[in-house]
Amino acid sequence: MRWESSTRPAPLLTATPVRTLVDEQTCIKASFLPSNHPVTVCARMRSDEGDLWQSFAHYNTNSSGMFNLNSDHSVGGSYSGCEPMGLFWSMQPAPGEREGLRLRKKCVESPYTVQISLLEGHVSPNQDPGKEVAAVTAERWYMSPGVKRQEIRQNGLVGTLFIPPGPGPFPAMLDMWGMGGGLPEYRSSLFASRGYASFCLAYVGHKDLPGPSNTVNVGDSYFKAAFQFLQEHSQISADRIGIVGLSYGCYLTLHTGTLPGVKPACLIGINGPVGSSRELLHVNVTTKKSDQDQVFWSFDDQGYIIFKQTSLPSNLHPESIVKLEEITCPLMYIVGEDDLSASSIENADLIEKTLRAAGKSHLFTRLSYPGAGHLIEPPYSPMSRASFWVIKPEKLMTLWGGHPAPHAAAQEDAWRKMLAFMELSLRR
Amino acid sequence: MSQAVPPVLSVQPSRALVDEKFSVQVENLPPGCPVTVRSLYQSEDKDFWEAYGHYVSDHRGTVSVSEDVSLGGTYTGKEQMGLIWSMRPAPGSREGLRLRKRDMCTPMLVTISVYRGHEDFRDQTALASALVERWHMAPGVQRIEVRERGVQGTLFVPPGPGPFPALLDLWGGGGGLQEYRAALLASRGFAALALEYLKADDSKPNSPGDKYFETAFEIIRAHPQVAPDRVGIIGLCFGTLVALSLAAEYPMIKPRCIVCLSNVHHKSRKNTVTEFPEEVPERFKTVGAMENVLVWRDMGLAVLKMQHPKIPVGNIDCPMLLINGTDDQNWPTVEVASDIIKMMREAGKESLVTRVDYPGAGHLIEPPFSPLFRATNFMLSGTRKKVMMLWGGKTKPHADAQEDSWRRILSFLQLHLYGDPSPKAKL
Repeated sequence: MRWESSTRPAPLLTATPVRTLVDEQTCIKASFLPSNHPVTVCARMRSDEGDLWQSFAHYNTNSSGMFNLNSDHSVGGSYSGCEPMGLFWSMQPAPGEREGLRLRKKCVESPYTVQISLLEGHVSPNQDPGKEVAAVTAERWYMSPGVKRQEIRQNGLVGTLFIPPGPGPFPAMLDMWGMGGGLPEYRSSLFASRGYASFCLAYVGHKDLPGPSNTVNVGDSYFKAAFQFLQEHSQISADRIGIVGLSYGCYLTLHTGTLPGVKPACLIGINGPVGSSRELLHVNVTTKKSDQDQVFWSFDDQGYIIFKQTSLPSNLHPESIVKLEEITCPLMYIVGEDDLSASSIENADLIEKTLRAAGKSHLFTRLSYPGAGHLIEPPYSPMSRASFWVIKPEKLMTLWGGHPAPHAAAQEDAWRKMLAFMELSLRR
Repeated sequence: MSQAVPPVLSVQPSRALVDEKFSVQVENLPPGCPVTVRSLYQSEDKDFWEAYGHYVSDHRGTVSVSEDVSLGGTYTGKEQMGLIWSMRPAPGSREGLRLRKRDMCTPMLVTISVYRGHEDFRDQTALASALVERWHMAPGVQRIEVRERGVQGTLFVPPGPGPFPALLDLWGGGGGLQEYRAALLASRGFAALALEYLKADDSKPNSPGDKYFETAFEIIRAHPQVAPDRVGIIGLCFGTLVALSLAAEYPMIKPRCIVCLSNVHHKSRKNTVTEFPEEVPERFKTVGAMENVLVWRDMGLAVLKMQHPKIPVGNIDCPMLLINGTDDQNWPTVEVASDIIKMMREAGKESLVTRVDYPGAGHLIEPPFSPLFRATNFMLSGTRKKVMMLWGGKTKPHADAQEDSWRRILSFLQLHLYGDPSPKAKL
């Protein structure tokens, strides 16, 4: 029989709120612990592919037996210092999980379920799990209630449209990613959760697109049609449409934004080139380089591909460089200063120089983040400094750059500024 | 820009537990624009419930429900959560409705919309709208149906290894199995067993004397994730009668503390607890335009004056929190609380009792932001006659009572079930 004169109950561990959008904070606290006592807080979750991601941090309770991640400092673990959301953005694949992973939500209609545990003492959960004394479950959502998700396969377009709840009409974003291809929906679903219709567009590496999956087989008319699709939508305000793109998607943003007949209300480019090239479009990377091909990517001593040089302005095809002087709408460009995949600083410099010469500096906003890498994504997500680029015919990793704490700070700040920029350009 | 931007309505957060607040904001309105902000919810029974407030936008074209004053509607004044607690059945609904969520695994889905003007808003298309989820259960809470040793109920256990402090959760004379307070308590760190003891069918209700509650307590204590000496009881109305009886008359059941909402402490003439609601005679009282509404308050006052058997509360040795509303029309619960305290004083145990009386609150003191149910359909146990029961309460004071009492309840339970207060400490 378990009767004791006074059973010590579990400490009370809370996450407030327990259900949030991924760009919102949650406050993790605990009470009814011994005073001035070492504890470890640990977070674990599974990706849509089933991989286990985790983080941990060491704290000491105060004289009242409490700690609060909003005000207390981690003294060790996956991050240090006062980081209210550190457990989320510092997650890494658990030991024994597959290598070369990048965390990207495939299904945006379901949340990430994060188990947050409290362990006795300052332990490293992988070496010595210690005793779990309390736990709380938090859900992190990419979509707020009422947002509608529609798969779009019409007029040759391949994409997913997210519409906020309500009658509209809504301002909208055309949302594009890089040469990794596929159709990442998670930025668009968040835009819609913030009141902007958002259309994420596939252009390479998607089974519903024409031609081989390793090349871009769509041209100007495709991107123009995507913009027009938004303009013609009954729930979208035709003159309040912006375009956003990361990496090669940044080039497509600038290029589409200057096509004849396309009048975006704003442009946002993240870590991408102002022009294109055969090399940028060429995704068949192998360690064997053909002598005829002039490629600008390189391999570091670990065998990781570094794409950075490929997007240096001098390596871009001159005819492809976007006529930035023709831009008539506000343009925000976001730079990760430790971007090892794109020459973001050089491209930002070129944009700035061109716009200044054209007397259009007032249209340009440049955000620059030391220590941030290529993949500046919605906030509080873990980052990958490197991950697999291709797995066939051989496994090759690419280096994105970035270091966890500054990259996390960059994502948080950039997201907030992007939303404010969109508010100003699309809602006023 | 040629096209005007429609107003933007946002609700933060869009997903929350039912005892959490949200902020509703409307932006991009013309300045000084009259609008109506409205909530709409379709219950599991398919009835529509709504609330609305009339606002005027400021010079920036913004309405902030948490900052601005509602000038009319189902609530007035600066009321951040008025859109939830002032809900009432939409015009044309059936009478005597009560809103009680049955499925704990899904949220309440409420639509918040904004309309132009203060008149006839229901005829218009909304300018903007948003959806919010209101949950009784946090993720990770386990819901366990209990059907053992004759006991029926639902046990909610917080996530984690435990051991957790726990509660026996008892509702009132309406009977059935109401899970929503237990689910919410588990979401706040307390294992909780919602117990069914007044069946909806014809079977005999359970009495404290027939070992049903003792067994329920044993089931809670024996659960591997419950700290066996940290189990309390929370009850409303008839549930307080059971709670007081268990604490006072059954030494095997030693709750660590009890929370009594809308206090009842009289037993039946046969000195049993369960027959008491059957004995309460019907007394008809017409209230305004409503006929056939039962108001039991005066009956209760008469019972108080008589030498009617009462629970010997002076035997209780644990801290008690007594919460009542002064506009309770179903029972003179404030007077009962005074009588309980008198009996505790006579036993030298007054320091165990904390009492809060809420002016203008009625009988059905529920978790925060629930709408007020001033009078609802009710089936009398025993005769099984369907009546309209007057519970009392005025909308705004009742909402304030629910919000304040919940905060106090959680704080009281944390202190006594998680903490180790000195037994002589004045509460």
